Amino acid sequence: MSETQQTVYVVEDDEAVRDSLELLLKSARKVVRPYSTANAFLADYTDSMAGCIVLDIRMPGMDGLELQKRLNERHSILPIIFVTGHGDVPLAVDAMKEGAADFIQKPYREEALLEKIEAALAQDREQRKTLGEKQEIVRRINTLTPREHEIMDRMIAGQANKVIAIELEISQRTVEIHRSRVMHKMGTHSLAHLVRMVLSVKDLIDDR
Amino acid sequence: MTEAVSTTPEATVLLVDDNAQNLKVLYETLKDRGYRLLIANDGDKALTLAQRHLPEVILLDIMMPDMDGYEVCRRLKAMPETADSAVVFLSALDDLDAKVKGFTLGGADYIAKPFQAQEVIARVWTHAQVILLERQLQARNRQLENDQSRILNSISEGIYGLDSDGNIIFANPAAAMITRCTIDELIGRNFFDLHFRLGGNPRCAPDPANVPVDATCKQGIAEHQRDIVMQRRDGSCFPAEYRATPKREGDQLLGAVVVFRDISSELDNERALDDARALVQEQRDQLAHASRMSTMGEMAAGFAHEVNQPLTAITNYARVALRLVADEPVDREVLGQTLGKIEAQSYRASEVIRRIRSFVKKPAVGKEVLSLASLLEETRQFAEVDVRNNEGGVDVVVPEDLPEVIADPVQVQQVALNLIRNALESTRSAGNNEPVLVAAQKQGPNCIRVTVTDQGEGLSGDAEEKLFLPFYTTKSEGMGIGLALCRSLIQAQGGEIGFERPEAGGARFFFTLPVAASVPSGR
Repeated sequence: MSETQQTVYVVEDDEAVRDSLELLLKSARKVVRPYSTANAFLADYTDSMAGCIVLDIRMPGMDGLELQKRLNERHSILPIIFVTGHGDVPLAVDAMKEGAADFIQKPYREEALLEKIEAALAQDREQRKTLGEKQEIVRRINTLTPREHEIMDRMIAGQANKVIAIELEISQRTVEIHRSRVMHKMGTHSLAHLVRMVLSVKDLIDDR
Repeated sequence: MTEAVSTTPEATVLLVDDNAQNLKVLYETLKDRGYRLLIANDGDKALTLAQRHLPEVILLDIMMPDMDGYEVCRRLKAMPETADSAVVFLSALDDLDAKVKGFTLGGADYIAKPFQAQEVIARVWTHAQVILLERQLQARNRQLENDQSRILNSISEGIYGLDSDGNIIFANPAAAMITRCTIDELIGRNFFDLHFRLGGNPRCAPDPANVPVDATCKQGIAEHQRDIVMQRRDGSCFPAEYRATPKREGDQLLGAVVVFRDISSELDNERALDDARALVQEQRDQLAHASRMSTMGEMAAGFAHEVNQPLTAITNYARVALRLVADEPVDREVLGQTLGKIEAQSYRASEVIRRIRSFVKKPAVGKEVLSLASLLEETRQFAEVDVRNNEGGVDVVVPEDLPEVIADPVQVQQVALNLIRNALESTRSAGNNEPVLVAAQKQGPNCIRVTVTDQGEGLSGDAEEKLFLPFYTTKSEGMGIGLALCRSLIQAQGGEIGFERPEAGGARFFFTLPVAASVPSGR
């Protein structure tokens, strides 16, 4: 779990809607930060932000969909709840395809909105927890020496110690030593667990 | 044949003498001179030949048995077809009485026997020419008279010839037909009595000081009036148009020529045309209204958004207020502020609805004096309802001293909205966010020109020819009614509509409206 306090970021150009939503969420004991434009939010955005975004889909200047795209480019995992108007269903569909957490139509009932916000905050917590675990795995992988890394890749590919020894032209005994160091450094005794861990962070490793 | 006669048409010469020797001499004298020569040796034969051949010249011997030359001449002159022949008497009687008698009977000339060949040739030639020319002249006159009466008969306007008292001395068939009389019944009647005074139809009672045609007959003043009422002999009436022209000979006023026609069917046609115009106007208004409704339909999502914004805020504030009320103690100040915000948002929502209503209502107002600055500003707010996410919106530039115009505000707003929405759509299609520029300025003393300029896709070449035609459209979802209707609406305001291609790209549409001060009040 992240130490950062979960915040509801409200991005809404209409002053009355923004002001009323801020008051409403505060009265429901949420931490709220309002923004009147997508640009203002983007300028503030950091990786460490936790919580969710309540984002108006129709705005002058940069609209909600554009902001979502920019955040995706920056690997943001903040869940987005889009606020849409009457005829905006096609826009909402696009937003969902791009990974939005949910959407809600104006005018909305408070219960519905709060429900969606709670769900988004839970999703954020979950993602942050997973992200924390993945970051730990990556950190552990980074402690491996190049030789150990190479041997781990072959272990995951299912090669027997004998095959690894022949192909790398080292003794089978040496392979066994490397292998036990890999298991130790990765904090596991099971090959199956090792495989799962490494595959779960495949996207993060391949990025580099 | 000699040169002298070669250029004239052939004349016929009848030689009449009981003496064969004389006939032979005359024949020898005149032959080969371009005449057709006929010979008779007594009066009966001469008359028969003359009737049959209508000779121009007759050389007539006086002293003949049975019927003498005088009698032949008398009879020739008595018959219309031979009366114009030139009779030249031939006689040894060289006394004055004989000559006088010959001339008295209508003879043209006299040649004494024994005659000289040169004299005969000369006199025959002279008389032949005179008669030929006279006959040509008469033929021409007859033709002219025929032409003239054909023209008068075929003209559909009635024509009267009046003397200075207004008595009808000439009437053409059309006059008879229009007045339902025969020409004979019209001739001799008095024009004023017949058409204006007698019969007593109250519809036909011209001001006695201003009876039609009176001034033309009495003072020689030409007149032209339309839509007067003329009366027929039977008392029925018809609307008429007439022209009266004075007839003069030197300084003397002889009367008038009146050309008139029954304009009943013309007036009917004009009324039908007025009715048709009114119908067109009514249908244009209906089409305009239908088009506004359709525009509203297209803009429904925008309006829903406009109304949903304050409604969303109201719902949120209301919920906040409920929480505040439930608190103990109640924070009255914050509660009051929240309720004030609810009220403000309610006004905001009702203002949007008011704007929609004012646009959709039927234009009962018609033309009025109006300020373009406020009209265009309201249209801008209206159009921006439809502005989607990434657009630059609409800028309105109107000089403060712009004169007011006279026009139907709802229809002008409809045209402006249509042009602005087109411009926004074109901007959107081009994928840029330059604002649409709406400007108004004076063009000459009597005209205001409003322009709507965008930086959008511009217009294709063939669009230019057809742009304002009904059912032509460049949009995939368009009906092609918008611009055609705009043109119709602007023309109804007395303005023009068109477009230009700005050098910077995009498109510029314009329309003009008359300045209020330039239009006389009360139409």
